Amino acid sequence: MAAQILSAIITIIVGVGGAVAYFWGANRLLDIIFPSRGVAGAAAIDNLRRQGLIRPWLFIGPALIILTVYLIYPVVQTLWLSFHGRNGEDFVGFANYSWAFGDREFRNSIFNNLLWLAVVPAACTFLGLVIAVLTDKIWWGTIAKSLIFLPLAISFVGASVIWKFIYEYKGDGQTQIGLLNAIVQYLGGSPQVWISLPFWNNFFLMVILIWIQTGFAMVILSAALRGIPEETIEAAVIDGANPFQIFWKIMIPQIWGTIAVVWTTITILVLKVFDIVLTMTNGQWNSQVLANLMFDWMFRGGGDFGRGATIAIIIMLAVLPIMIWNIRQANRESGGH
Amino acid sequence: MANSTGKSFLGRFGVHIAVLVFVTIWTIPTLGILVSSLRDKDQIIASGWWNAFSSSSQTEAGRLPPASAQIEKDGKFVIEGNIFEEGQERNISAFGLRSAAPTEYEAGAVADLGDGVSLQLDEDGSFVMSSPVAFEGERGQRVYYESSAPPRFTTENYETVLFSEGIGRSFMNSLTVTVPATVIPIMIAAFAAYALAWMRFPGRALIIAVIIGLLVVPLQMALIPLLQLYNGVALFFGVPSKTYLGIWLAHTGFGLPFAIYLLRSYMAGLPRELMESARIDGASDFEIFIKIVLPLSFPVLASFAIFQFLWVWNDLLVAIVFLGSGSDQLVLTGKLNALLGSRGGDWEILTTSAFITIIVPLIVFFSLQRYFVRGLLAGSVKGG
Amino acid sequence: MKKCLLLGVALATLALSAPASAELKFKPGEDSKFTWSNYDDLKNVDLKGETLTIFGPWRGEDEALVRSVLEYFIEATGVDLKYSSSENYEQQIVIDTQAGSPPNIAVLPQPGLIQDLASKGLLTPLDDATADFVRENYGAGQSWVDLGTYKDKDGTDKYFAFPYKADLKSLVWYVPENFEEAGYEVPKTWEEMQALSDQIVADGGVPWCIGLGSGGATGWPATDWVEDIMLRTQSPETYDKWTKNEIPFNDPSVVEALQIFADIATNDKYVDGGAAAVAATDFRDSPKGLFSIPPKCYMHRQASFISSFFPEGTKLGVDADFFYLPPFASHADLGNPVLGGGTLFSITKDSKAARAFIDFLKMPLAHEIWMAQSGLLTPLKTANKEAYANEALKKQGDILVNASTFRFDGSDLMPGKIGAGAFWTGMIDLVGGKPAADVAANVQTSWDAIK
Repeated sequence: MAAQILSAIITIIVGVGGAVAYFWGANRLLDIIFPSRGVAGAAAIDNLRRQGLIRPWLFIGPALIILTVYLIYPVVQTLWLSFHGRNGEDFVGFANYSWAFGDREFRNSIFNNLLWLAVVPAACTFLGLVIAVLTDKIWWGTIAKSLIFLPLAISFVGASVIWKFIYEYKGDGQTQIGLLNAIVQYLGGSPQVWISLPFWNNFFLMVILIWIQTGFAMVILSAALRGIPEETIEAAVIDGANPFQIFWKIMIPQIWGTIAVVWTTITILVLKVFDIVLTMTNGQWNSQVLANLMFDWMFRGGGDFGRGATIAIIIMLAVLPIMIWNIRQANRESGGH
Repeated sequence: MANSTGKSFLGRFGVHIAVLVFVTIWTIPTLGILVSSLRDKDQIIASGWWNAFSSSSQTEAGRLPPASAQIEKDGKFVIEGNIFEEGQERNISAFGLRSAAPTEYEAGAVADLGDGVSLQLDEDGSFVMSSPVAFEGERGQRVYYESSAPPRFTTENYETVLFSEGIGRSFMNSLTVTVPATVIPIMIAAFAAYALAWMRFPGRALIIAVIIGLLVVPLQMALIPLLQLYNGVALFFGVPSKTYLGIWLAHTGFGLPFAIYLLRSYMAGLPRELMESARIDGASDFEIFIKIVLPLSFPVLASFAIFQFLWVWNDLLVAIVFLGSGSDQLVLTGKLNALLGSRGGDWEILTTSAFITIIVPLIVFFSLQRYFVRGLLAGSVKGG
Repeated sequence: MKKCLLLGVALATLALSAPASAELKFKPGEDSKFTWSNYDDLKNVDLKGETLTIFGPWRGEDEALVRSVLEYFIEATGVDLKYSSSENYEQQIVIDTQAGSPPNIAVLPQPGLIQDLASKGLLTPLDDATADFVRENYGAGQSWVDLGTYKDKDGTDKYFAFPYKADLKSLVWYVPENFEEAGYEVPKTWEEMQALSDQIVADGGVPWCIGLGSGGATGWPATDWVEDIMLRTQSPETYDKWTKNEIPFNDPSVVEALQIFADIATNDKYVDGGAAAVAATDFRDSPKGLFSIPPKCYMHRQASFISSFFPEGTKLGVDADFFYLPPFASHADLGNPVLGGGTLFSITKDSKAARAFIDFLKMPLAHEIWMAQSGLLTPLKTANKEAYANEALKKQGDILVNASTFRFDGSDLMPGKIGAGAFWTGMIDLVGGKPAADVAANVQTSWDAIK
């Protein structure tokens, strides 16, 4: 164990040191080859221009290489696989795509994903906003925010254990150790197996993600709220606006951009989420979602890479409109520089 | 703003109550496993954790010694003793001789087993069974009893998990994976983000668009192509394919789009005059970056560090695929997932290990929290 | 802060990392019930400097058991052996073999999955001598050879998988004293078992504990029920056709079997916790109901391995026992069929050590070590029956070695997407109250989709 700690420290130093050495060394090298100081004026200007041509690529090079290897190459590979059979060898054209839209489980996943998309981003943003507004008004707001933010630090696997404990079911009349069923029983109801209730089980799974992500929405929105100029609100108060009018007519429009960013981030997350479904139900009881279905087709029972890849491509296509909107935003903003 | 709404006492009171409700709902699930992980393992399943402070009653079974333990006393055959092992005494309230009616007799009463055989079980667990004829058989009589145990809190569960379930090893693995997988992407992303925000070169807009587009790639689909690549490289150089370097780079790759997106939008918001005056003074882009931009970007770097740290620490899939699932390589989440399977219903193990995996991210989060909020404030508000 | 943390961890881990030296469970040469001559033979195999990676389904307590067997191989040959497993081992093995980083040996309980791997050319065939060995030395040897024979990439049949460790599925577990106290008799026919169930209900008890929960594999325990019922209501030939889809999944014979199971599992009075609890209860938890006081149920149908999930200190034969899941009196011509399962070892990356390990599995000793602890049954006739840890296991071993009709777990024979997918989902739907005919039709639709 001591050896492992030592080797861990050494590898950390080598890894991090290597990255430092690259950036420092490459830039130093550029300065030596094309010196801009201590040479005659014309040569210096010439060298500066050359530096300007090369240096951006020194800065961005490692990132581009890693992105190409780790993300672009797999995307291309997946696209190629989606037109091939289960072993990834024979070309099948659009057969996988036409299979997908005829498959019951796939349609079920699409329906569930739409439910998730309709509920989770909205719920997180709304709750995050409400909590952000409320906690801004009280002296122990920071503590409250920290506690609400806390689930974001918990892994999906950990969260699954926590919520399995909440949803735990024992037969009617027995001592319930799951909180939800204990409450139901205390109120005179009969205990339920929450994660297998058709249709509604989706919502019990969503609750977990909402629990995790509301803190994220809250922090960002609370920051944006603080950015609203005091005068705007004071002016409204003098005009006799009530708190609700201030909230809807003044605050919301001011932070609309931030709300959109939060919404987008959580939407992307929802489309990619699979850990919660995998550990809680594995898509049974009609709670399947696209990301888990893809994992299932890729790796379960021998695997069918063609169909798995097809589902992956469909997930990416689904997010495309949101991404295009984001890219437009980014370009508009960078136009200023 | 604080005094703009809800001036009345009632309104303020309402706000406090509302926040309290939210905080309660959000913390109760975690509190549940914390309390449970500190309870006695039998009590966890005997009563809900919210009852942890009241004593719980349990129904158990014990077996009396077999016939070989009998002694002859006053013409009767007697088996005597205490049903509890030393040091494990509890208070018995009732007992029974049939599983279907385990509380038929009150403690201290004499139960009639027929044929003149009788059994008396006292509150402290001592029993006397007597019969007019000799006992036979190797199987002792079964006795059922209800006993109440006072609430008991213990660190036993933590000892079990930490010392016998191999969590310590996984803990080290997680640290070895997480630290470099957090630091390396920060450096690479910071340089790239500066170039994309403040340097002019052809193709910049395209690169930005591609990076934002890559935010949506579901990483599960990258697993097989990448593992194939790794194996090819490993075979070529004659090295193992599942290494820490491999997983660091993988996490770096998956974290980069978000890192660049976040850092770029922050750096783009820095005042232009700073850069220009430095440039007039003859500083190169490298010097500007190191001396001006990097120190100013500290909050956003810290907040990305937290994000990446949490993400890597909490990751299960990438670790299992690129590092392996042997007990030597398992990271904490992998260990927890394995426990979830092999110890499905053992809540004392599950709650304890869940809490152990949570504790590090919580420490990191609370110690870096203030940078986090500042960094996100600058980055995301701009994003809108 | 990080420094403190690291230091704390370092101290904690130093304190707890006791040297993991190889400790043999039973000392070689000591107990005559083990075939120690095998151990001496094994010492002649020198594998020092070789590494052997094995990937298997056993985790937790089972992992400790398999490791106790592996220790002998390590100790005798000096090989550097690494065993690993994973909660989602089925997905893991696909990822690893497909990406070209397989273990040397993969241990899988699903022939369907092995067929998938074999047809992709990811397995190395075993030699004919191994097939002959199994044919001659295993009870119902030919059926075990057939089980390990699959089509390779070119469509030729080859022998790929060596069976080691079998499970007996047709068992009903009960607590003898609970039966005695209530005056119940062990049923000899399905009809008697039905009458007993009604009797238990009339006495205010619950006859069955059924739990289908198993994480990502939720639903599989019910497939065993259906297979057992199939074997008791249909001929073995029909069973074989069913597993190959030569009769459709929604054939009336299958629907009938589904219905018989549904009648038990969806009857609130018959199952502990009511029908709703069936799919929600973990299969490892469900036998615990037998041992509750008062008992939550009186009977639990599950394979032989389940005894390792009984409460600590439960003595088989005293605190818990089993009876053979009885046949229908109305189908007396079918005899006493036995449903089983087992794990199959195949070579995913050939090496000298991998071959030597397969040879090790042919030795009685490899079986006896595990037999002497718990959980392992073997059809290997040369293994010493006296090595079984208790009478109960010996009784099960006898059933296995003397089986007339032995059939492997049908869901494991079906293609992975059905046997480890649609069939499971179907079972969950079935206990959720979906009509048997609809469930069967759905599974058939999925099967058509992968043809």
